[in-house]
Amino acid sequence: MAERNCRLLVIGGGPGGYVAAIRAGRLGLDTILVEAETLGGTCLNIGCIPSKALIHAAEEFEAAKHRAGKNPLGITASAPSIDLAATVAWKDGIVDRLTGGVAGLLRKGKVTVIRGRATFRDGRTVEIATADGVEIVRPENTIIATGSVPVELPFLPFGGKVISSTQALSLAEVPRRLVVVGGGYIGLELGTAYAKLGSDVTVVEAAGKILPQYDAELTRPVAARLAQLGVKVMAETKAKGLSADGECLVVTRADGSEEVLAADRILVTVGRRPRIEGAGIEKLGLTTERGAIRIDERCRTSMHGIFAIGDVTSEPMLAHRAMAQGEMVADIVAGESRVWDKVAIPAVCFTDPELVSVGLAPEEAKAAGHETITGLFPFQANGRAMTTGRDDGFVRVTARASDHLVLGIQAVGPGISELSASFGLALEMGARLEDIAHTIHAHPTRGEALQEAALKALGHALHI
Amino acid sequence: MSYDLVVIGTGPGGYVCAIRAAQLGLKTAVVEKRKTHGGTCLNIGCIPSKALLHASDLFEEAGHEFAHLGIQVGKPKLDLAAMMKHKDDTVGANVQGVAFLLKKNKVDAFVGTGSIPAAGKVLVTAEDGSTQTLDAKNIVIATGSDVASPPGVKVDFDEKVIVSSTGAIALEKVPAKMLVIGAGVIGLELGSVWRRLGAEVTVVEYLDRILPGMDSEVAKQFQRMLEKQGIKFLLSSKVTGVEKAKSGGTVTFEPVAGGEATTLSADVVLVATGRRPYTDGLGLEAAGVALDRGRIVIDDHFRSSVPGIYAIGDVVRGPMLAHKAEDEGVACAEIIAGKAGHVNYDVIPGVVYTMPEVAAVGKTEEELKAAGIAYTVGKFPFTANGRARAMRKMDGFAKVLACAQTDRVLGVHIIGAGAGDMIHEAAVLMEFGGSSEDLARTCHAHPTMSEAVKEAAMAVEKRAIHI
Ligand SMILES: Cc1cc2nc3c(=O)[nH]c(=O)nc-3n(C[C@H](O)[C@H](O)[C@H](O)COP(=O)(O)OP(=O)(O)OC[C@H]3O[C@@H](n4cnc5c(N)ncnc54)[C@H](O)[C@@H]3O)c2cc1C
Ligand SMILES: Cc1cc2nc3c(=O)[nH]c(=O)nc-3n(C[C@H](O)[C@H](O)[C@H](O)COP(=O)(O)OP(=O)(O)OC[C@H]3O[C@@H](n4cnc5c(N)ncnc54)[C@H](O)[C@@H]3O)c2cc1C
Repeated sequence: MAERNCRLLVIGGGPGGYVAAIRAGRLGLDTILVEAETLGGTCLNIGCIPSKALIHAAEEFEAAKHRAGKNPLGITASAPSIDLAATVAWKDGIVDRLTGGVAGLLRKGKVTVIRGRATFRDGRTVEIATADGVEIVRPENTIIATGSVPVELPFLPFGGKVISSTQALSLAEVPRRLVVVGGGYIGLELGTAYAKLGSDVTVVEAAGKILPQYDAELTRPVAARLAQLGVKVMAETKAKGLSADGECLVVTRADGSEEVLAADRILVTVGRRPRIEGAGIEKLGLTTERGAIRIDERCRTSMHGIFAIGDVTSEPMLAHRAMAQGEMVADIVAGESRVWDKVAIPAVCFTDPELVSVGLAPEEAKAAGHETITGLFPFQANGRAMTTGRDDGFVRVTARASDHLVLGIQAVGPGISELSASFGLALEMGARLEDIAHTIHAHPTRGEALQEAALKALGHALHI
Repeated sequence: MSYDLVVIGTGPGGYVCAIRAAQLGLKTAVVEKRKTHGGTCLNIGCIPSKALLHASDLFEEAGHEFAHLGIQVGKPKLDLAAMMKHKDDTVGANVQGVAFLLKKNKVDAFVGTGSIPAAGKVLVTAEDGSTQTLDAKNIVIATGSDVASPPGVKVDFDEKVIVSSTGAIALEKVPAKMLVIGAGVIGLELGSVWRRLGAEVTVVEYLDRILPGMDSEVAKQFQRMLEKQGIKFLLSSKVTGVEKAKSGGTVTFEPVAGGEATTLSADVVLVATGRRPYTDGLGLEAAGVALDRGRIVIDDHFRSSVPGIYAIGDVVRGPMLAHKAEDEGVACAEIIAGKAGHVNYDVIPGVVYTMPEVAAVGKTEEELKAAGIAYTVGKFPFTANGRARAMRKMDGFAKVLACAQTDRVLGVHIIGAGAGDMIHEAAVLMEFGGSSEDLARTCHAHPTMSEAVKEAAMAVEKRAIHI
């Protein structure tokens, strides 16, 4: 049985783990990364990247469909068809490139990568089951970055027609009828993509509306577009299970009545949960909170020398949070003084239109006890939006009434995901409305809407 | 009639100035000789050109991109008249919007050519020759700019064969061959539009590089990308003649270094050699307003040499950009209303709306070198960015220039799809005098192309992760 020591062991090669390992390696720490499946984790293999690739292809396909026949932009083409296998192959090519890239970066950072499953024997000893047998690692520091797994509904287990986001990213053909259980961002992103590719899509959501964690004003343009794409949204509806013949999904409406939805595929996207099991983590007796490992502002767990980052530490389960944590912990292990003091972690839904939220929404700000002012600027009054033929959505900024400190910025609109960076930066720098209002924004861009929203909150918008 | 403020010209400088002044309680009027408001920008500039750039980009994608994504579709056909209608509709909606805003803010609008017989007076001459005089405590000149010919060359624009940008956004058919004189923003944007729609485009430029004024590394890379798309460049070439021929037009040029002249012909010749400040007919000489090489001379508070007369936008010094004009409009109105208006000229983003886009804010490497400022460079390519890969938009990179001593960010340059949106976080950062570390430590959403900007900032301290 091979045994080795190291300064840092990282368990899990997702965005949290691989970033931590690369950074640690570059800082000269003797680092080992263990990954049971493929480098890149959920994000690169079965999450962010493949989903965005599929969304992009679907968007282009929908645009092409839209263009078959006469249309306002003056481009005519024959009706397009989709070869989903080719799309998936293209997507797989991207995934291979990026995961290969991660492997290259780890090599360059002199990180030792071990393929295998890690299990804690105790807080100082980790056992790794590799193809060639078991290895033992005795690290000075360990980062748990085991990520998350899709939540399975006990009455609707994965298998057969019932699929998770993972299978939805690799279907061989476009399902004729797709029922999505769970109207959060993952379900809506994939549901929208399949609707654009030609599926008949129904979204079943237990809450009163789609994207329940965002306010109604913000999600309204998304709901409107779903309706336009022919996606049927059943709110206040709960999935109950498969019909007796296993062909259909049975749901319960708000009034208690049952309905049977015929489906070729049932995509269950009701959330993700931290992956604690299977790594012996429970043996360590780490403090957990609702199934997630509890961490402090330096990502330290309740056990000395053991850190946890990413999805395994609970919400927000976002790749960029995992990466930022990974980078920070590597610095800490290398002796730098770092602490998690992020003001803002932007959240993006790559729905159609896209939705971005950074900081507090107006209601959240009020609930937190702030007296606030809010400015909203619609893309209808934005020149760039008009030139693209899509002027749905808006930018909304909320600030403290007393000193105009910006507390939150949200936006919904086609292609606005890139605005998230300037929203985040504004919050991170402690911007006031005046700071944003006085930053010259290039014309004509969608970014001007942020400046105008700030002006609106100050009571003197120029373009509405 | 008597006003606190009369603004001459309702381009982005003028109409924004008028709206802000009205918001601040000044009795305000505007005078515009064009039938619609919005000036160059909304009628024949930014907005129509961006509408065509968007539509032609989709046309190109339909022709070339789909196969990669598993989408099968026949070759797309172009209905140019419909595409032009999309452009006209966009312009229509925009200019009506401005008319509505002026009305909403209770700004009186006069149609006609404005002139200044004396300080405190604006004479409005309508198309039919009728006149009226407005009393104005303050006058803002926002008459913008007009097309300029290359130095020393007489060009007879017919706007069909020999065209300026104005004709180039309204061609009736796609020219088989197009010659573009000038490799600045407008020439490259409109050249791209017609190349995408099927024209064979050649750009003739006096300098030995494209995009004068922008970072030269960016310009060099960008030229390669445009060449790959099929645009040809003839650099270091001095145009000596632009003529209309029996069919089409010709352009004669010679090497700047000296040598034999060449004449090329094309169906359409686009002259995009810049714009000149437009003050024709204002009667500035009589009013005593000083000019410097055609531009109205102003001080830091937009005051011309004559008390009570201000000037903003393309007609004064500084970059000829709509958002610069708008911000000057706001600041000028605030100053006239007795407040402290201010424009930070160090942080004005510039965008080229080609594919990929080019965007910049702050200083270029050349400017920093010339000023003797020690700086560090962080760069990150979009080939290493997940979102760029997922959208097949891997061309380009982000570059952050930071002060070697203080780490303060001095310039950010981006080539890449959507660069025009990404540049704003850099603008916000620079308004705060932020450092590359501030940018590097700000959590950027994944997967977005903006992560490349963050990585470039990390690269300043040699700590980029994904490269
Ligand atoms: C469809 C979908 C779309 C998404 N889209 C986005 C998006 O657009 N933006 C965004 O920010 N987030 C998105 N996410 C979420 C994002 O993927 C996660 O937040 C992110 O991957 C979390 O990173 P991580 O490093 O914590 O864990 P993971 O990426 O889950 O990686 C954990 C890794 O650890 C390995 N592992 C687990 N246990 C062991 C063990 N015992 N031994 C060895 N290895 C082990 C796993 O094999 C895995 O590779 C999406 C998720 C899904 C499913
Ligand atoms: C093809 C093209 C594309 C462009 N793209 C962009 C871009 O993407 N982004 C960007 O920032 N900038 C762009 N510009 C530049 C932008 O249009 C100008 O910087 C901007 O319009 C300047 O605003 P202004 O208010 O100073 O003047 P203008 O917009 O030129 O407006 C001046 C107005 O004054 C009127 N006028 C003139 N004289 C008189 C008179 N005596 N009496 C009454 N009215 C008068 C004119 O009719 C005009 O309406 C582009 C320009 C062109 C030509």
